[in-house]
Amino acid sequence: MSACIHCDQEVIHAHYHSEDGRECGPFCCQGCLTVFNVINFKGLSEYYEIKKNVELFKKRAPVELRSNHYSYLDDVDFLNEYAHKNLHNELTMEFYLEGIHCAACLWIIEKLPTFVNGVSASKLNMGRSVATVSISNLGKFSDVARELDNIGYRPHPLKVNQSTKDLKIKEERSMLLKIGIAGAAAGNIMLYAVSLYAGAGPEYEELFNAMTVLFALPVLTYCSYPFYRTSYLALKNKTLSIDIPIAMSLIMGGVMGIYNMINHVPENYFDSLTALVFLLLLSRYFLKTIQEKGLSTTDLHFFYQGESVLKVDPNDFSKNQEIHPKFIKEQDYLRILPNQIIPADAVVVSGESYLNNSLLTGESGLQKIKANDHVFSGTMNVSGELIIKVEKASSETRLGKILKNVENGWGQKAQIIDITNLISKYFVAAVFTLSFILYFWTLRHHGQKEALELALTLLIVTCPCALAIATPLTFIRTLSKSAQKGIIIKDDAVVEKLSKAKYIYIDKTGTITQNQLVVDQMNIYHQTQVTLEAVIYNLEKHSLHPVAMCLKECVKISNPEVMNVEDAKEISGVGVSGIINGHFYEIKNYGIYEDHKLMADFHIQDALRTDAKASLDALRLQGLKIQILSGDKKENVQAIALELGLNENEYQAELSPEKKSQIIKSTPQSIMVGDGANDAIALASADTGIAVFGAMDISLRAADVYMNYPGLSNVAELMTISKETMKVIRRNLVLSLCYNSISVLLAYTGHISPLTAAIVMPVSSLTVLISTLIGTKTLRGLWK
Amino acid sequence: MEIIVFLIPLALILGAFFVGCFIWMTKKGQYDDLETPGHRMLLDEHNKVINNNTHKGEL
Repeated sequence: MSACIHCDQEVIHAHYHSEDGRECGPFCCQGCLTVFNVINFKGLSEYYEIKKNVELFKKRAPVELRSNHYSYLDDVDFLNEYAHKNLHNELTMEFYLEGIHCAACLWIIEKLPTFVNGVSASKLNMGRSVATVSISNLGKFSDVARELDNIGYRPHPLKVNQSTKDLKIKEERSMLLKIGIAGAAAGNIMLYAVSLYAGAGPEYEELFNAMTVLFALPVLTYCSYPFYRTSYLALKNKTLSIDIPIAMSLIMGGVMGIYNMINHVPENYFDSLTALVFLLLLSRYFLKTIQEKGLSTTDLHFFYQGESVLKVDPNDFSKNQEIHPKFIKEQDYLRILPNQIIPADAVVVSGESYLNNSLLTGESGLQKIKANDHVFSGTMNVSGELIIKVEKASSETRLGKILKNVENGWGQKAQIIDITNLISKYFVAAVFTLSFILYFWTLRHHGQKEALELALTLLIVTCPCALAIATPLTFIRTLSKSAQKGIIIKDDAVVEKLSKAKYIYIDKTGTITQNQLVVDQMNIYHQTQVTLEAVIYNLEKHSLHPVAMCLKECVKISNPEVMNVEDAKEISGVGVSGIINGHFYEIKNYGIYEDHKLMADFHIQDALRTDAKASLDALRLQGLKIQILSGDKKENVQAIALELGLNENEYQAELSPEKKSQIIKSTPQSIMVGDGANDAIALASADTGIAVFGAMDISLRAADVYMNYPGLSNVAELMTISKETMKVIRRNLVLSLCYNSISVLLAYTGHISPLTAAIVMPVSSLTVLISTLIGTKTLRGLWK
Repeated sequence: MEIIVFLIPLALILGAFFVGCFIWMTKKGQYDDLETPGHRMLLDEHNKVINNNTHKGEL
């Protein structure tokens, strides 16, 4: 099978571009073909040359053909809120671009100034898929956005909060600085420390020792500031954190090193301590970067504001103006096109159509609407064009209120005390007790000076660094490897919560079923004069009824012949009829009739996902209690449950979003799997919310995990991943506690010295590092 | 071993120089985006791209 030139996906129905008798192709769809033409016409065909030479790292979706005008981007209101002035006093806006995947995209986006009038600069950040575009006085952002759309990158304007963005950059840079300085200092200290261990002559001893102190000072103050700060905050809130014993070791080490230097004793622990600060900062930095690559609520914020809408003049419906959904006001008249999500609670003024309410209520059936009916924000207009009059806009709508609840519930999730901090509680107590015992014991047998020295040394060498490094490292590995598999986990606490989960709640629509009506059965009793496909296709050609839609979808594959239909009729609520080749055909009551004789019948259902049953079994094997929560009608849910072999008590139907949330909230250690706006509250109220692919972007704001693949199959895998990860973490915990016990033993027998610390501490870190990389057998299999 | 009098300050100066460079680079924002510039430098500038609408790609 060949690949589409533009998007590299497999081509099923090939489209070709022909010109001067030569054919270019294949393309997977008309969209990609159009984009190819636009790019060539602009003289930018080098794009494809560059693309050939890059290794793909993101698969690109085929381009969808849509025509948006983006004129709302030029509104003064909009510009005031979304654009800012750059250093050259030019208007600048950031766009999130869909479909950024390789260096060729980078090339073409940064070429914008050469083919769009008025663009003065364009820069792309590939990691975030965000382009920053500046325009001169002559330029318009609507032109920029249209052009971006034309070449296949759908732009979404981003609202940039300059102050939070600056703050974030500042924080990240200061973290990097701390890592860099700690690394440089640790390396330099090593030079002098090794000379000292190797037995530098007495004339150099003091000089070298002073040098190590000099290098250690910035590390123990500036670079270690984050540890002191979190320890202080933890103590202030009367909680515990792994940073407390670390900060304690650092302070003790610093005090002892300087005290020794003043007393001309060339002994300190700065070589071990600085190296550990460096490693700790490094592992935390990586964990943070990986988490930020995943779900960042600020970045997702723009999504749900959605597509632009057409505002029409109340007196003349033919006059349209494109506006951003944010600026919809009450009493506005809007034109809603087929397949558009209704942006506000409104009443229909004119037009007839079917609504898909599943996003709001979970019902799989379609609702017929006509003039004077009420429609809710978040539902999808399936077939006809509508003119609606807005009654409630943005946060006042039913959907807006649900979202507000999600946001309010956001911070209220029960925070678990993670495993390392739990350990640190016992750890601090044990180390302090042991130090005191050691102090008094040595005091009785030796002098005051030796006793103090030994006790301090114990506090320093029991620094739980292996533990503090190992845990983030294990999570980094799990988070990044899962992300490669298309499972995006919000943070490390989620992994731990998942491993402890006992109940799993699953939404029906879109998770177990495909949320798409399909013809699942077609019984043909007699052959018709013309092919059955042709009858269906030609009769239903102009019908917008949902059953007609899925019948058409069903026969489309066989490329039915277009025929002339005489006396074509559609009787609302009954069916369609017409005469083809002298025979009278009818499609009604899920049957196809030729001259009033039943020729075939069919059955329509929201089909199960093929992987649903196997995934449910796998989840049950993991020891989870399964329950399906649905807003759909009882008989629909019952049918699905029967097919999946579920018990009476394993499903509940006809639940409102609010009720679902209540059920979930009352069960601790629960997971919720779902998509759609009706699940947003449910996802947020569960211990862990998993949003599966195809989920409305809103769900993502409430969920902890986002899956890039449809259906349930990855959930079972995620459960395995979380359990195995926790296994590795527990093993690391045991390992590092073993090393600490060795340190304590050495301290008690009086064998501890800076040299032993310089050996034991790195070795312990190295052991947990190796243990992390090895993982477990199951994990190794999964990561392959 | 008097050479050490020379070597230690030298090591310090060199070290300080590189740490200084690192601080300067970080403050200038060279580490803010580690992915894009790497790709950007690989793209050659070709003059043929600019303006001519008649140029059609051959594939």
